[in-house]
Amino acid sequence: MKRVVAAVVLLLLSWTGSAAESDMPPTIQDVKARHASRLLAMPGVMSVGIGRGGEGHEVIVIGLDHARPQTQSKLPLQLEGYGVRVEIIGSVKAQ
Amino acid sequence: MAQDFNSVRSALASSRGRLLPQAHVVATGVGYKVTRGARTNALSIVCSVREKVALDRLRPQDRVPPTIDGIPTDVVATGVIRAFQARTARHRPAPGGVSIGHRNITAGTLGCLVKREGQVVVLSNNHVLANSNDALRGDAILQPGPHDGGTFPADHIADLHDFVPITFQEPPSECGFAGGVIAVLNAGCRLIGSRTRYRSVNIQPAENRVDAAIARPLAPNLVKDEILEIGTISGLGSGSLGTAIKKSGRTTGLTTGEVLQVDVTVNVQYGPGQVAQFTDQLLAGAMSQGGDSGSAVLDNGNRLIGLLFAGSDNSTIINRIEHVFSELRLTL
Repeated sequence: MKRVVAAVVLLLLSWTGSAAESDMPPTIQDVKARHASRLLAMPGVMSVGIGRGGEGHEVIVIGLDHARPQTQSKLPLQLEGYGVRVEIIGSVKAQ
Repeated sequence: MAQDFNSVRSALASSRGRLLPQAHVVATGVGYKVTRGARTNALSIVCSVREKVALDRLRPQDRVPPTIDGIPTDVVATGVIRAFQARTARHRPAPGGVSIGHRNITAGTLGCLVKREGQVVVLSNNHVLANSNDALRGDAILQPGPHDGGTFPADHIADLHDFVPITFQEPPSECGFAGGVIAVLNAGCRLIGSRTRYRSVNIQPAENRVDAAIARPLAPNLVKDEILEIGTISGLGSGSLGTAIKKSGRTTGLTTGEVLQVDVTVNVQYGPGQVAQFTDQLLAGAMSQGGDSGSAVLDNGNRLIGLLFAGSDNSTIINRIEHVFSELRLTL
C-alpha cells in the first residue's frame, strides 16, 4: 500500500514539475533556435549566435557580411524578450 | 676598471677560435658582466653554454678562463640554440601547429594528436585532410602541405583514416523536371477544384557541427605529441562565453582571443557557390587567417576546447571539441 501511495505522489510531483516547466519563459537558446533559419535566409546574414550585451546579460547576435541598410531595417530589435545586437563580421570562409 | 669596447672586441676576435670548440660553449659575444644576478659596468667576453658545469668536472681545455687578455669573462647558461624552423617547413617529428594537407589541397594546420581506438592519429579539418569530402580513406597526407612545397612520396607523413562529411547547401531549385511535374499537379488541383498547390523546394541539408578528419601516421616517430609554442594538452575542456583561448597555426602562429559567441549558426563559404551551414559553433575575434584551419584551440589551462576551421576579417569560427570527439569517436 505504501508503495502505491509513493508511486502516486511521484506521479503527481512529476506532473506538476512538467506543468511548471511549460510555464517557464523560453530560454535564449530556444528563441535563437526558433528564429535562426528565418534570419539566415535574409540577404547578407552570415551568422546568428548568443553573445554578451553591454550590461553583461546574454543577447542574440546577428552577423552581417557588410553594411546592409535594407536587411538591417527588417531585423528585430528584440526576440521574445531577448535583446538583439547586429554586427558586421564580414563573409566567413573556410580557412 | 671598465674596459674599452674595441679592446674587448679584439680580445674576443683573437680568443673566439679557442672558446667555441670547448665542450659546452654554444656562443660567444661582448656584454656587461653579471655578478650575483646584477649587471655591472664591466664589459666582458660572454660565453653562452649549454649548461653550467662545476669547474672540477671539466677537462682543463674546456674551462673558460676567468680573464682573457686582462678582460673578464662571463659564463651564461642559455641551453642549446636551435635554428628557428618555419611552420611551413618539413618537421620530423611533426608537432601541432605546422603545415599539413591532403595531396590535392593547398595547406592547412596539423591540429594535435588524439587517439582512435587506442591508436594515435592526427586531427585537423575535413577540408585540410579530406579535400572537402573529395577523398578516400588511405589517401596520402603531406607535411608540409603541397602549397608549402610538400611532395609525394618525399613528404608523405600519414594516411587519411576517417572524416565527417560536410553537407553543402544546394542552390535554389532550378530543376526543370520538378517544375514540369509541379505544373501538371497544380493543373490537376485546379481541375478538381482543390485549393491545394505544390511547389518544388530543395531538401534542407542536415546540420553540420564539425569540419573534422583524422589521419594515421605512417610511423609513430613521425609525429610529436606537442603543439608549437603551447606545449602538451592537459585534458578536455569546454568553451563558454568569455573563455580565454589560444591557438597555434601554420599562418599566424600563436594567437590568443576570447569566446565572444556560443551556439552560433553560421554560413561558411568553401569556394565559389559552395556554402555549408554549421550549428553550435564558438565564435572568437580575429585570431586566424587562411592556412590556420585545423589548429587546435585550447584554454589557458591547456585544455583542448575546439578545432578552428573558418573565419572572416574580424571573426574566427571554432568547432566544439565535444562534437569533434563524439562524431569521430576520439579520446585523448
